[in-house]
Amino acid sequence: MPESAGHWKAAVIQATAIVATAMVVGLIVNAVRKDGITLIGDWSADARLTTSTGEHLIVPLAEAEKLFAHQAAVFLDARSKPEYDAGHIQGAVNLPWHEVEQRFMAVAEGISPDRPIITYCDGEACALSKDLALFLKEMGYEKVRVLVNGWSLWRDAGLPVENG
Amino acid sequence: MVHALRYSMIGLLNTGARIVLGGIFVYAGYDKILHPGAFAEAVFNYQLLPDFLINLTAVVLPWLEVTLGVFLLIGIWIPGAAALSTLLLTIFTTAMLFNFARGLDISCGCFPTSASEGSMTIWTILRDAVFLLPAGYLFVTTFFAMPVVGPRSPQKQEI
Repeated sequence: MPESAGHWKAAVIQATAIVATAMVVGLIVNAVRKDGITLIGDWSADARLTTSTGEHLIVPLAEAEKLFAHQAAVFLDARSKPEYDAGHIQGAVNLPWHEVEQRFMAVAEGISPDRPIITYCDGEACALSKDLALFLKEMGYEKVRVLVNGWSLWRDAGLPVENG
Repeated sequence: MVHALRYSMIGLLNTGARIVLGGIFVYAGYDKILHPGAFAEAVFNYQLLPDFLINLTAVVLPWLEVTLGVFLLIGIWIPGAAALSTLLLTIFTTAMLFNFARGLDISCGCFPTSASEGSMTIWTILRDAVFLLPAGYLFVTTFFAMPVVGPRSPQKQEI
């Protein structure tokens, strides 16, 4: 048996031991520390879009549709300009999250703090709309909600869109 | 004489690879241990694991990196550490390549159709792929180079 073959067996045993050590230490430290996290997290959209004060930011499509029909909310598209130009919810204003610092003042000028705002981007896991919503709340806007996977949902439902 | 020089060079390179790799792993895991919640979000944004595995990974993976790093730095259990570090780096690089290929921007968990921003550029992937060099070197010398200092090695008699 070539000498190196012993290396492979040793490697498997050692690697397993290293992984086991990491698991035990990691789990114990996580359980003991103040800022440990739960082992099975809730990564549903609603959980991700609930603030630390318990406010649920999600707005269902049906409700967003109603607000749109009554022109009762401002829709903010958190995606980049090229994506916005390619297609967005009719009447939505583009406020790319990646450029929020430069663009916020100009966009916010026309929106009073008590006006309902709905942010959206594209994709179930897209965090642009959430980041924008939380930012807006910090800036003093009280009624900000997020339409998860807004662009795809809206478009697939055949609701009014425009481009440019 | 030449043999001895060559073997001591390999030994030096081995030690260098060990220390560089070990340092990288400890450094990589350390910050993630300090901020488990943030790391869990990063894992989520990779969109590769099912929801129920995300937190567990966020808790264990950083400790795996640090433990691996420590073993490499100290220089014990090298076969296991070399195999594991090569395996981990291969998995990470593959995951990044896959996400790059499908256009996922892991800073937002979204798929921007315009190639404008994207924290994950080809350079980030290349950087991690570069870590595979010391790992690969260690792996090869540990498992494939015939033992250079061993009881049965004839070269040991040379001066």
